[in-house]
Amino acid sequence: MDRRTLLIGGLGLAALATTGCVTNKGATSAAPATAAPGATSTAAATIKAAWIYVGPINDGGWTQSHDEGRRFAEKELGSKLITTYKENVPEGPEVAQTIETLVKDGNKIIFATSFGFGEAMLAAAKKYPDVKFLHATGVWHSEQPNFGTYYGATEEAKYLAGIAAGKETKANLIGFVAPFLIPEVIRHINAFTLGAQSVNPAAKVKIVEIKSWFDPTKERQGADSLITQGVDVIVNGGDSPAPGEAAKAKNLGWVGYDSDQSANFPDIWLTAPLYRWGPYYVNQIRTALEGTWKKEDYYGNLKDGFNYLAPFGKRVDQATRDLIEAKKKEIIDGTFQIFKGPLKDNKGAERVAAGAVVSADDLQKIDWLVEGVS
Amino acid sequence: MIRLEPRLLRPKWLSVAVPVGSIVVALVLGAILITVSGNSALDTYGRILDVAFGSVQSWSDTIVAATPLLLTGLAAAAAFKMGLFNIGGQGQFVMGAIAASGVGLALPDVTGFVSIPLMIAAGMLAGGLWAAIPGFFKTRFGTNEVITTLMLNYVAANVAGYLIFGSMSFWRLTTGSGQVFPQGRPLSDEAVWPAFGGGGLEIPLGFILGCMAAACLWALYRYTRFGFEIGVVSDSPEAARYAGINVPRTGLAVMTLSGALAGLGGASDIGDIRHVLDPKGLGQTGYGYTGIVVAALARWNPLAVIPLSILLGALANAGRALQGATFPAGLVGTLQGLLLFCAVSGEFLTRYRVRVGHKRPLSAAELEAQAA
Amino acid sequence: MATAETGAGAPVPGGRPSNAADASGPASARAGGVPAVSMRGVTKRFVGVVANDHVDLEVAPGEVHALLGENGAGKSTLSNVLTGLYRPDEGTIRLFGQEVSFSSPRDAIAAGVAMVHQHFRLVTKFTVAENFLLGSGGAYDAKTAAQRIRELGEEYGLPVDPDANVWELSVGEQQRVEILKALDRRARILILDEPTAVLTPQEADALFATMRRMADDGRSVIFISHKLQEVMKVSDRVTTLRDGKTVGTVVTAETTSAELARQMVGRSVVFSADDTADRPEVDPDRVVLDVRGLSAEGVRPQSSPKGVDLQVHAGEIVAICGVSGNGQRELAAAIYGIRRRTAGTVAIDGVQSRQKGPRESTALGLAFIPEDRLRTGLSPSLPIHANLALKGYRRPPLSRGPFLDGRAIRARAEELVRRYGIKTPSIDTPTRVLSGGNVQKVLLAREIGSDPHILIASTPTRGLDVGAIETVRHLLMDAARAGTGVLLITEDLDEAMALAHRIVVMFEGRVVGEFPRGHYDIERIGLLMGGHTGDREGAA
Repeated sequence: MDRRTLLIGGLGLAALATTGCVTNKGATSAAPATAAPGATSTAAATIKAAWIYVGPINDGGWTQSHDEGRRFAEKELGSKLITTYKENVPEGPEVAQTIETLVKDGNKIIFATSFGFGEAMLAAAKKYPDVKFLHATGVWHSEQPNFGTYYGATEEAKYLAGIAAGKETKANLIGFVAPFLIPEVIRHINAFTLGAQSVNPAAKVKIVEIKSWFDPTKERQGADSLITQGVDVIVNGGDSPAPGEAAKAKNLGWVGYDSDQSANFPDIWLTAPLYRWGPYYVNQIRTALEGTWKKEDYYGNLKDGFNYLAPFGKRVDQATRDLIEAKKKEIIDGTFQIFKGPLKDNKGAERVAAGAVVSADDLQKIDWLVEGVS
Repeated sequence: MIRLEPRLLRPKWLSVAVPVGSIVVALVLGAILITVSGNSALDTYGRILDVAFGSVQSWSDTIVAATPLLLTGLAAAAAFKMGLFNIGGQGQFVMGAIAASGVGLALPDVTGFVSIPLMIAAGMLAGGLWAAIPGFFKTRFGTNEVITTLMLNYVAANVAGYLIFGSMSFWRLTTGSGQVFPQGRPLSDEAVWPAFGGGGLEIPLGFILGCMAAACLWALYRYTRFGFEIGVVSDSPEAARYAGINVPRTGLAVMTLSGALAGLGGASDIGDIRHVLDPKGLGQTGYGYTGIVVAALARWNPLAVIPLSILLGALANAGRALQGATFPAGLVGTLQGLLLFCAVSGEFLTRYRVRVGHKRPLSAAELEAQAA
Repeated sequence: MATAETGAGAPVPGGRPSNAADASGPASARAGGVPAVSMRGVTKRFVGVVANDHVDLEVAPGEVHALLGENGAGKSTLSNVLTGLYRPDEGTIRLFGQEVSFSSPRDAIAAGVAMVHQHFRLVTKFTVAENFLLGSGGAYDAKTAAQRIRELGEEYGLPVDPDANVWELSVGEQQRVEILKALDRRARILILDEPTAVLTPQEADALFATMRRMADDGRSVIFISHKLQEVMKVSDRVTTLRDGKTVGTVVTAETTSAELARQMVGRSVVFSADDTADRPEVDPDRVVLDVRGLSAEGVRPQSSPKGVDLQVHAGEIVAICGVSGNGQRELAAAIYGIRRRTAGTVAIDGVQSRQKGPRESTALGLAFIPEDRLRTGLSPSLPIHANLALKGYRRPPLSRGPFLDGRAIRARAEELVRRYGIKTPSIDTPTRVLSGGNVQKVLLAREIGSDPHILIASTPTRGLDVGAIETVRHLLMDAARAGTGVLLITEDLDEAMALAHRIVVMFEGRVVGEFPRGHYDIERIGLLMGGHTGDREGAA
């Protein structure tokens, strides 16, 4: 398949969704429903929807944020929606079997929230054309009419969080606990670093790769090892709040990820890039109910409210808050580009010439870290 | 006062009554638990049966879930039967998966009649060699195989992780979505293993190989000179040495055999199920460890591993089917644990008899007083 | 050399003459006082077996009471009931008139019943004092324990070095430690299970003196044995068991060994290997085992064979006598090839062994009955038919290629079971459940059944009852008559003298004496076994 066009198509759709998905569903309704062959065109009274999670629903991170989205949808749609979920589902043949059960139980729309579920979801979509399959973080942008993906440009929020961290650090050394050094995380680290350096040109970011998305023990150990190397701000790349515990023990500032932990860590909390899954879920389910559902590869951002920043902690002063707010406006307006040259990688080689902007496609498979990351 | 006495001989009826009894006890305890949690016990049990065996599709899913457990179970049975505690089934499984996918990827255009047997051979070889390392250290230097095999599990997991996440290896998909998220290269259609059956029932090749391996292992232990030697070595190494049996070599051979079976499991995981090397998924499922449970419940009997792997596969599938918004995952785990616990304690009761109550023995002081 | 003469009748230091033949017997037993032990109608059943069937046993304080019976007669079960290991199904146990019910050996120890087992329960890596501490329940620290060991040892003539590691001690010394532990626990009833099996005649006599002294102290000593001479020598009274039932209790002085033997076996026993007419004929021209300058590593330095020369001819029985742990076991293992030889050569029927291990030795015609029959000679949990195939399973007719021939294995097992009169429910029975005599018959059937040139038998009658001993000895004689050379390793001088054409004495890994038939001198052999030696001696 030609990923370039699809990816760009996906991004385009995301822009379309910006207007349609969350705020104004009239926009998507305007697209001819019959254009999507898999879509049901008749409205139903109730619908059953299911979520497949890779972790436990109380992980204090990724899975928990999705489950909050599920409950948001329940609240919004009331008696029209019956939900269920499967937690701790391993990435393997178990996914296919879980989908089988969910389909058999009459679920008409299924969300799967881990990258590794993608292949099984796509296969199931082909097998059950009257069920809608939606895959978070997915890159299987296929022509399959009842299969969609959803994710977002989280690097924007990461950049803003970087500003808070750049202001916070006194040692000019920030520690980033990275799950895997894959393009998504590299993109986030880079954006975060550029954000920090925009207010503190001396700021450097140290990373530790723990090779797990959710492993409180390893995440804690990673954070501790960064602290011994002299960092004075800790940044989450993974899903558990364990690095926050490490930061709390040394009273260091902490930037979380995908879960608002400000209440649990009031003294060290800076902020966190968060996802708002609820409105997306509501939109998908509502259009399915009304028979207007249409396949899309959704890519959210700050502008459509899919990505947002958690409330600031008391360590972030008003001046910084204003600065971040201003930058956020520029990003939403499109007047500011994060990945704009000149950019050097961390070995000193120039990667992006002055004035040039990294393309969306290159951004999706970025494999170099910006200057100042080690 | 309750005392346990070992039974010298086991009555025949016990071997039937105890498993049946322990399942009944487990079901009753489970029913109480389910009812307390506010669900219907009858519905729950009906659903377990339905999900596990209720339809052709359920059977297919159950057998898919059973396949890796069958092979890792056989691996554990082969080694534990001889008193070799091979905890390394997981690592051998992963090495088998790496080797088999390597061969499958190297021969994308070759007919499956050639590439699939080569994948099987590669998987078994890799698993066998991976087990032979601790086997060698055990038999040569007396190193505790529990520790070495366990350590090699981590090494294997890291090798697989390196191939997919840490390097641009031959196994890694470098185009398409592979550029966005690190993942294995999928096998060509030729190298994907065929499934057998009909009427919607799909039995993976790995399961059929596993059944054949179980029969071979059973026959090996029962009808061959090698099996005879294993029997002597496991019962009394002194007697084996006395009879001129090469005890270290026998041990090494059994470890290798055990590893080869786990490696075959890894090959089947690639060929039958995943079709890509997926370190994350392999680590998450932990088939190597569950295989030990399967083999222990089968009392290391290779033929009994077949039904028990199906049972545990069914239980795992039913468990995921049960859990949901009103049925927490913890309750599912408790139910599964209850079943296994009852099975193990039932086994205990076939070996010991429980005696209740008897007269209080005299204390030493009282006796002293009597004698004086 | 006074020790050599020391018998039960000899005066013991500080004690009155207490010969078993003393008609007065222990005062309390005669005076009708309260018995120390009174077991009445004790019945213990196992599945399919009644091990004890309404057994009665009465032991007076201050008495040495022998418990006589063949293996399987129920002696061990009875003593296990008395020490709390088993709970009787029926019957009562009274200690000093008080009914007791033990739920564990701990209760029995608390009540003053102690047992010295045939297999010692010592931690060999610990010192004597540390072992003492282990069971004392925290009564001592290391220093006071050592002190106590010296005191007790002096009092009862049981000298042991408290600081020695147990593995360094001789078997006899280890036994002393066990007895000291029992005494320290204020055992008023002491059970000794086959205590002389591992001792030299001199050591055994010393033990008898100790037993007598303990009895004089008012303790009751229960002496389990199947050796008639010892029972006659040391005990005051004898209770005989047969097939789980009490045959009767007699005053030792009022009976004879022949009568006791008849009670024990249920028939008259006559084993007369001295019958010269029937003695196996030696072929002086055919050396079936030729060992020259053999050295090997030992478990301990004393037990490593050092330059042993040894020849056995066809039809000849050569006995190696020695206290256990003087290199006999290592010598046998080195000849057989499971212990590495450091020097010397071994030839079997003229063919040099190339030290390739048991397979080669077996192929050359060497059969070997190891000392530890149930774990080394046999695979205990495997069925009898598998054990009978343990040496022959590699070759036709028992196997074809890599596959066993189950039918041939079973057929051969059936035949051997019949030919050697092995008593077993079936050939599928696990070997470990057989009685000691039948276990040994399985081993002998396999080893002799292979028609070897030379048979090495290491303590083949140890722990067996009279009937089984007789059978085993006959089997060895029959093998020699058929032309097999027999190397008999034994600690039982009576056995050596009864069977062997020649006796070789080993001490600390060396051959220290050699006696041809007709020149056996029991006192001299006993001294050599105990290490009283200068040069290599022999009457040849």
